[in-house]
Amino acid sequence: MSEIALLYNNLAIGGALFALGLIGFLVRRNMIVMFLSAEMMLQGISINLIGWGRYHGSSGLPGAWGGQMLVIFIITIAACEAGIAMVLVLMLARKSGKLDSAAWQDLREEGVPAFVDHQVPEERTEDHVWPHLTPAGIEPPRDPETVIHRPRV
Amino acid sequence: MNGLAKLYSDLPEPLRKALVCPTFWALMAGAIGLWLLLPARHRFGKRFGGVLVALAGALFAYDLPLLGNWLDQSVYWILALITLGAAVATISSQSPVYSAIWFATSLLGTAGLFFYNGAQFLGVATIVVYAGAIVVTFLFVIMLAQPEGHSPYDRLTWGGLPKILAIVTAGMFVGIFIHLLEPLKHQTAVPLAPEAIAQAHNNLTADGGVLNQKHMATLGRHLWSEHLVSIELAGTLLLVALVGAVAMASFGRPRLGDRIEEALR
Repeated sequence: MSEIALLYNNLAIGGALFALGLIGFLVRRNMIVMFLSAEMMLQGISINLIGWGRYHGSSGLPGAWGGQMLVIFIITIAACEAGIAMVLVLMLARKSGKLDSAAWQDLREEGVPAFVDHQVPEERTEDHVWPHLTPAGIEPPRDPETVIHRPRV
Repeated sequence: MNGLAKLYSDLPEPLRKALVCPTFWALMAGAIGLWLLLPARHRFGKRFGGVLVALAGALFAYDLPLLGNWLDQSVYWILALITLGAAVATISSQSPVYSAIWFATSLLGTAGLFFYNGAQFLGVATIVVYAGAIVVTFLFVIMLAQPEGHSPYDRLTWGGLPKILAIVTAGMFVGIFIHLLEPLKHQTAVPLAPEAIAQAHNNLTADGGVLNQKHMATLGRHLWSEHLVSIELAGTLLLVALVGAVAMASFGRPRLGDRIEEALR
């Protein structure tokens, strides 16, 4: 197998993944999806680093493990970031009631005009789709009188 | 036809090179396809966008150098397809729940690429840490904060122009990146001697190599010798983040002891 070709492939795929994450971060407004996109950018970088590590290992250069070490630290930082981000998102969502990052545009610079939604698209019933999960195990018999009423979730 | 040929020869050199480059057209098709696929106010053109993105992926793969062995090649392409296809689905699905699930799929592809490149530990760690912990936490927060599941405001994004600008920025990034890799591509055009391939394989599987059977032992030795201070710092950082997260989550609420006293009074 051609190692240089593998390195090129890794770099190209990692770059494309980074670019997709960049688009997601800039375009989406849901805070969860924004953070998912940020994590996706980190994944692109990780693929690049692992590719370089493989290439250095194949040519017998020292530092073949450097790429993998850096990726270990990337995963560590990503875990820290996800923990903090989740708490922040949860607190912000509890205050504003939604996951929309535009709800926090009061934090903008003075003199910058506010972003106003024009023509919010109406929600159609066919948009209300949830993932179909395959049932696991047998459903226990249920007493209809003891079913807890849950209006949300 | 002659006029077109003359127009083509009149173009400056870099532009002429770009016009015959499959990656250039892949980026063009990918940009238009993504623009159609991303959540928008109207719902037209989703299928056409998907076709354009698939075409872009095919052109992009066509321009990548071959790995030299059809089995390696097909495995690599399948993994890359899972990674990038699921990434496109992540940023283009309207419901954040679907986004998170597609992101987990993309992570499986990434973990496969890690395995492919001889990073067994990191492949498993990616699945366990990301798909197992982070994505589940994301889903948990979605369920807590947005029980209705979908986000109509995402279809507006930040307006029409910022969306186009974001896609153009990302496309330019990939274009410049691929352009910078051109010298590397020239090297791949030269067919490799069997001795060179055998030498590379020997280097990889030798003691201390990435593909050696003592992968984990070597990784641990590097981690706990060269990077000892860094790993301690990383552990401390995790602890600080944990404490910070708990402190932020319970900020502004009465402490447990006060609440118990309040209840007893």
